[in-house]
Amino acid sequence: MTFGRSRALQDVSLTLRQGERLAVVGPNGAGKTTLLRVVLGLLPPTSGERKLSTPPPTIGYVPQRLHFDPEFPLTVEEFLAINQPGSRAWFGGVPRRHRAAIQEALEQTGALDLARQRLGTCSGGELQRILIAGALLQKPQLLVLDEPSANIDRRGIDTLSELLQNLHSDFGLTLLFVSHDFHFVANLADRVACLNGEICGIGSPEEMLDEHYLPGAYRDPCTPVRAGFHAAGCGR
Amino acid sequence: MSWSDLWGYEFMRYALLSALILGPTCALLGVFVTLRGMAFFSDALAHSAITGVALGLLLQERTGLDLDPMWFVFIFSVALALIMAWMNRHSSLAPDTVISFSFTGSVALGVVIISWLGKYRLLDSILFGSIYANDLNDVIRQAILSLIVIGFLVSQMRGFALSTLSPELAHVQQLPSRLLHYLFAVLVAATVALSLKMLGALLLSALIVIPAATAKLVGGSFRSLLLIAVSIGLLVPPSGVWASAQLNLPTGPAIVLGNVLLLFTCYVGKSLHRISMNNSGKRSELKHGLRSGR
Repeated sequence: MTFGRSRALQDVSLTLRQGERLAVVGPNGAGKTTLLRVVLGLLPPTSGERKLSTPPPTIGYVPQRLHFDPEFPLTVEEFLAINQPGSRAWFGGVPRRHRAAIQEALEQTGALDLARQRLGTCSGGELQRILIAGALLQKPQLLVLDEPSANIDRRGIDTLSELLQNLHSDFGLTLLFVSHDFHFVANLADRVACLNGEICGIGSPEEMLDEHYLPGAYRDPCTPVRAGFHAAGCGR
Repeated sequence: MSWSDLWGYEFMRYALLSALILGPTCALLGVFVTLRGMAFFSDALAHSAITGVALGLLLQERTGLDLDPMWFVFIFSVALALIMAWMNRHSSLAPDTVISFSFTGSVALGVVIISWLGKYRLLDSILFGSIYANDLNDVIRQAILSLIVIGFLVSQMRGFALSTLSPELAHVQQLPSRLLHYLFAVLVAATVALSLKMLGALLLSALIVIPAATAKLVGGSFRSLLLIAVSIGLLVPPSGVWASAQLNLPTGPAIVLGNVLLLFTCYVGKSLHRISMNNSGKRSELKHGLRSGR
């Protein structure tokens, strides 16, 4: 994947298995968000391809943030009505036929008490739960989250991790997420991919988040220090 | 002079109808203009209408055809809006930089053409508007445009709102965020072109931005924001026309001042409400503290 002359990703080959929780970690500028954008179909890869299973899975996306003026009087349930597929939301408000689905999504994410609150007054942790509720309205099979643990305190991260674990076990969701928070990754992920322009290694959280391995993977070019990891061609 | 007296004059009837049609349309559009942070964009398009009029006059003079310059304003505004929207998406320049040079460049071109044609007197009506020059054709065109703009905004409400909050989220949900981005720029341009006669290039963006800004101060939800903004658009412009007739004021400035006065009143009211809420909160805290012996 290249942008002009700069190469963001090279030789990245990742297979996401149904029902797994895959975390992507790596230093800033490693191409994590670019990888997510390719997976979501927002960026066509310069070379190579993105293959989806047949039929293609429904994707729910949880962006890192929203671009809006916090003073804008948009309530949480109105935001979710805008997120609801097929909702007309003719003149703002919440269409009656979608109210139950919105309430259910808020309940699943433990955010029902926030329904009438203004979106701009929600904390980082609350906003993540609302964004996940918005993604659940898509009835997703794959949930893609871009740095869900950013701007949240430790307690909020633990709550978020528990919520995502519950959604995974209750609905069999496949999770793909990017995070800088190793505690969050260790709690939630089945597999961890370390990205630094290329895949520097893929393995279990215990293997990949090992203090002997990580400094090498975060170096530029990265160094695969452990045998047995898939890290072919590492080093740009 | 009563409303019925005013209605008796044909020019006043058309002015009031224009105000009733364009006020709510501009206000509804303004909600999305402010949500998308495009107030400067609409202001720039209004100012660049000078060039559209100038190009129309130039073509009229060179070809001898009797064309309404408003069509040139429409075509020029739409073209400029699309260019600015494309540059905002694709160039590395900041959006306000793109708008700034497009706006000043086009105004400069318009003034050069007008000076070349020796029609400086026209600048007055372009800059400040001439709502009493409206005729039946203008009112019909404005009504058709309003139906189109309101129809698009209301039917594509979800797409416009979601692509503003997160273009990626809109794309993942299969909403045509890129198309909506350009379509919105065209809607702003078309509204600016047809509202030019009412307020003029200098004051027009007030009709778009101020009702939404006022509604944002007092609205508690997106629905209330939309309803309040449209209500302001329905009430203030006709009241401005009426006040200008009563007090012998220029109409465009009277409408803008009416909007500004309402905005200021809402701002002061909200600030006072906030202060009284804070004070009552402090009082109840104090009472609670005394009761619990702290």
